[in-house]
Amino acid sequence: MALFAKKQSIDEEMAERERQFLDETFKEELRNHARLYFQNVLKENGEHFKEALTSTVTDLNTELKSHIATQFDGALAEIKAELKEHIAHQVEAQLSEQAGAMKEVQDKALADITQSAQDLEARHQELAREFEKSLADHEQTLDSVFNDSKAQMEKMKDSHQLALQWFSESVKALQEQHEQLETRLGEQIEAQKEMTLKTFEGNMARIVEHYLLGALGDQFDIKAQLPSIIKQLEANKQAIEDDMKL
Amino acid sequence: MTETATKFSYTDFVLPANTVSHLDLARLVTELERIDNEMTTTAVRTKAGTKKRVARSTHSERLDAFLLANNFKLTDSRKRTAILKQLRLLKDNAPTIHMTFATEADPASLERLAQWLRESIHPHAVIAVGLQPSLVAGVYVRTPNHVHDLSLRGKLTSSHEILVKELETINGRG
Repeated sequence: MALFAKKQSIDEEMAERERQFLDETFKEELRNHARLYFQNVLKENGEHFKEALTSTVTDLNTELKSHIATQFDGALAEIKAELKEHIAHQVEAQLSEQAGAMKEVQDKALADITQSAQDLEARHQELAREFEKSLADHEQTLDSVFNDSKAQMEKMKDSHQLALQWFSESVKALQEQHEQLETRLGEQIEAQKEMTLKTFEGNMARIVEHYLLGALGDQFDIKAQLPSIIKQLEANKQAIEDDMKL
Repeated sequence: MTETATKFSYTDFVLPANTVSHLDLARLVTELERIDNEMTTTAVRTKAGTKKRVARSTHSERLDAFLLANNFKLTDSRKRTAILKQLRLLKDNAPTIHMTFATEADPASLERLAQWLRESIHPHAVIAVGLQPSLVAGVYVRTPNHVHDLSLRGKLTSSHEILVKELETINGRG
């Protein structure tokens, strides 16, 4: 605004001076001079304008920026508030919707859980009854097994006692047998020794006989033996005669 | 007379010493049968008037000894037949004594033994000879029911105990 006002005053001053110097040359000179001046002025003003414009643009920019920022901040704040409100509203609506669904689901789940719990309780009771029954059976079985085992243990104890007794008797008998066996073995060894010695002597006698027979073989003919044979026959005459009469 | 002459038994026979074994008796019977056949044939031919001369049959030493020992003559056919019959009976009934020797027995020794047997044991005893070199010496006699080991081996066997005792004495256990 100030810029436009200044420009207007310069134009008026120029028109005044122009009227004073209405001479043509002068006017020409003036015109030239004015032209030059005007050019300079224009130039200066252009520069000033440029600077002012620049400054104005800068200021404007700054202000605009500031304004926009302010406006943007306001709008942003508003939008933010609205958005917040909207979101809150939406969230609340969704939450309420979800809460209803959740409640429904919860109710259903609760009903299911209640049913399951009831079933479970019934099953538990049934199992408890079965368990009790089974336990009673087991107790009974265990009692009978325990009693049987006890009886068997008693029997085993008796058997063990008997076995121990039998074992000690057997050991005693075995010891006696061992002693008898030892005695008999000693006797048998002695007898065997005696028999072996006798056998050896018998065999030795046979060996002697064998060598004697070998040495005497083919030494006698019948003619040489005849007197001896007849002598022996005479000695056995009665026996031979009796045998012939039979 | 003729009837009395043919009435005799083989028990009256005297066996000569050279008839030792049962085989000798069998040979004697065979020879006598042959002679009897020849003499009968000759007699028949003579009766039939055959002019052909029959050669006189020869006798073995064994037969001659037998005939001599018993004083027999073979001219009478009936007596010959009776002798033959009794000799067969003797062959079948003569008691046999088995005698086993360590070496081959010579005929003379066998005759001596047969003679002793007939004089001492039985007049018609015959010997069955066997050979067993393991006897070494002596004789192993087997009669119908008994055996008599008169061999050196038998002597040694019976003296076995004595030998054992001797060995025991040598071993210092007697």
